[in-house]
Amino acid sequence: MIAEGKNPEARSPAFRLATAAVVIALLAVTLLLLKGNKHKNEGREKVYFWHCWTGEWKENVIDKIVTRFNNSQSRYQVIALSIPFDSSEQKFLLSVAGGKPPDCVALWGRTLSAWAEKGIIEPLNNFMTPEEWAHYQRDAYPVVLKVATYKGRLYGVPTNMNTYACYFNPKQLREAGLDPARFPKTLEELLDWGRKLTKTDVHGNLTRIGFLPAGLERYAPLFGGGFWDETGQRVTINTPQNVRALTFLTDCWREFGVDRVVRFRSSLNTGGFSTEWPFISGQESIALDGQWRVEQLARYAPQLEYGTAPLPPPRGGTPDGCYGGVNRLIIPKDAANAAGAWAFIKFWSGIENPERAAEFYVAGGWLPTTTGIAETTAYQQYLAKFPKFQTFIHLLPENMEVPPPVPYQQLVSDVLLHAEEFSERGLQTPQSALAEAQEKIDREVSRRQRLGL
Amino acid sequence: MNHNRYGYLFISPWLVGLLVFTALPIIASGYLSFCSYDIVSPPKWIGLANYSELLLHDARFWKALWNTLRYAALALPLCMATAFGLALLLNLELPGISIYRTIFYLPNIIPAVASAVVFQWILNPQIGLVNGLLGLFGIQGPAWLQDQVWAMRSLVLLSVWGVGGSVVIYLAGLKDIPESLYEAALVDGANAWQRTLHITFPMMTPIIFYNLIMGIIGTFQYFTQAYVMTQGGPADSTLFYALYLFFQAWRYLNMGTASAMAWILFLIVILTTWLAFRSQKHWVHYDR
Repeated sequence: MIAEGKNPEARSPAFRLATAAVVIALLAVTLLLLKGNKHKNEGREKVYFWHCWTGEWKENVIDKIVTRFNNSQSRYQVIALSIPFDSSEQKFLLSVAGGKPPDCVALWGRTLSAWAEKGIIEPLNNFMTPEEWAHYQRDAYPVVLKVATYKGRLYGVPTNMNTYACYFNPKQLREAGLDPARFPKTLEELLDWGRKLTKTDVHGNLTRIGFLPAGLERYAPLFGGGFWDETGQRVTINTPQNVRALTFLTDCWREFGVDRVVRFRSSLNTGGFSTEWPFISGQESIALDGQWRVEQLARYAPQLEYGTAPLPPPRGGTPDGCYGGVNRLIIPKDAANAAGAWAFIKFWSGIENPERAAEFYVAGGWLPTTTGIAETTAYQQYLAKFPKFQTFIHLLPENMEVPPPVPYQQLVSDVLLHAEEFSERGLQTPQSALAEAQEKIDREVSRRQRLGL
Repeated sequence: MNHNRYGYLFISPWLVGLLVFTALPIIASGYLSFCSYDIVSPPKWIGLANYSELLLHDARFWKALWNTLRYAALALPLCMATAFGLALLLNLELPGISIYRTIFYLPNIIPAVASAVVFQWILNPQIGLVNGLLGLFGIQGPAWLQDQVWAMRSLVLLSVWGVGGSVVIYLAGLKDIPESLYEAALVDGANAWQRTLHITFPMMTPIIFYNLIMGIIGTFQYFTQAYVMTQGGPADSTLFYALYLFFQAWRYLNMGTASAMAWILFLIVILTTWLAFRSQKHWVHYDR
């Protein structure tokens, strides 16, 4: 039996009226809010910009650059969208395939040459006057030009270079009886320091790593290796230098014990840009990391005493050999507002006004891409404030290796990681791992030739 | 006739959806498997090159297929046995049994990605819950997802944790067995074990068969957990077929190769399912 009053049919007209009024009111509020949320500056040409920065980098650096640009002029309005890095390339390619790409993209991955080859991004030197282009070629660091051009044309304007050097913890060094002022000059000596700094618990589990080398791409240049033969225009993986580098890394992992290293590292959040960095928490005494850590350390661990030094070469190796990455701004072929995108790129990269752009570089803790930026007062002041940043600047024009300029860069990078993992885990010898990697790339090259790709 | 027309009109959204979003992509993938295609430039006909490249030259393709078969061989029997056993237990008339049924079904409500992320932490070698518990008994647990031997086993364990879905199907089947059969067996003096073996099990074979077919199809398409938790690593030990297909498609933009992989997988699944159907006359009982 249904009690009276609980029967929905029996609800009073007043109740229904009240419900309807609430629903209508909510709808009205939502509509008002939506309207209020609409972008200001109606009537300006919209420039859609995609990037992958998140968190503090997005808020403190990218959003501010966008706001500065939007406030600087009356014609364009940049609308920035942060997309997840993992799926950024898929999203971009789908937008291209769908015929509605964004106007400007900050490209992090290794696909510039692939996209240039396929003709889905614009050669940006076409937007420059011949004088501007000539000046840019003189002004940009050679390594910057190397990563921004494909077959002689500029496809992406680099906004920031990244490179790696050693961060060390002087307090822990002194505790272990090592002199921070006399940082090792050879890789072998550095390993020795690492051994003295490493700590384990009673079960033999690692609690602190002194120094653990990893990353073939970063170590190969020190051994005189690399992955691109400029004269032969081919990807070179299986070279004696690279084998020596991988053998070195494999020996290090074996010494620590792969299982122990894997366990230790799994408990750390070692994500590239995360502030939860084992170096800050003191679980790593000497760490090879990017220049952006200088800025993060100043912000999040101002008390921490630290030093920086270039990664020393092995005995008889190449001094200051290092590996660099780069972020570039690109314009897709079918961009609706390429002119607006170019105005934004000029504004950000410093092609237009290095003095103003230097402020962005400083805010992001980025390496300069041109001598023009490096010489600005803002940048020089920054260097005076953070002398440790000099280590990275010093590496920039030297022997910096960059990913090979081929359309299958992603594959090269994956194949190298694969070889390194198999070798370090003792599943393959360094020789056979690199021989197999070379074979995979050679097969890809011949496949592409066969198919006319 | 007029009646039929209205019928088709009413189901037309589904018909159109099926044609546009399922039939068309299937046909397109068949064509693309003979092409080189990167989604931004038009497909280029290359004949059987994708298939020959995969079957003759690609060691990782075979590795991925082998991993998937291994996973199927491990996870499928384990999950089916666990689910059946659980269903038998949950079929007992105990006070509060519905609470237990709910508990075992709960993992199925949680999105696969969310549970995968949580399990990454549970299985963390250094600070994870599982190794912490093992540590209490003085056992040094394995490095789970970071160990090339244990990574696959970890994923199998995770799949066992999620058997709730098939448990529910088994339970429904158990409820469907006529009480009179058990009563007759009781009169004949059959004990609990004999009743399970000679009544429950034969009566349940159609349900087991259904779960087997679904399981085969599901394990061959296994993707989400591996994508979230291991990305195929360490050392390719959890590189599953569907994961490698995804990498071919989206990491290297070899849509043609990926389509060829999809068709090879389709043939494998068809073949296995056909074998399963062939086998059913030996062990599946439909007669009541």
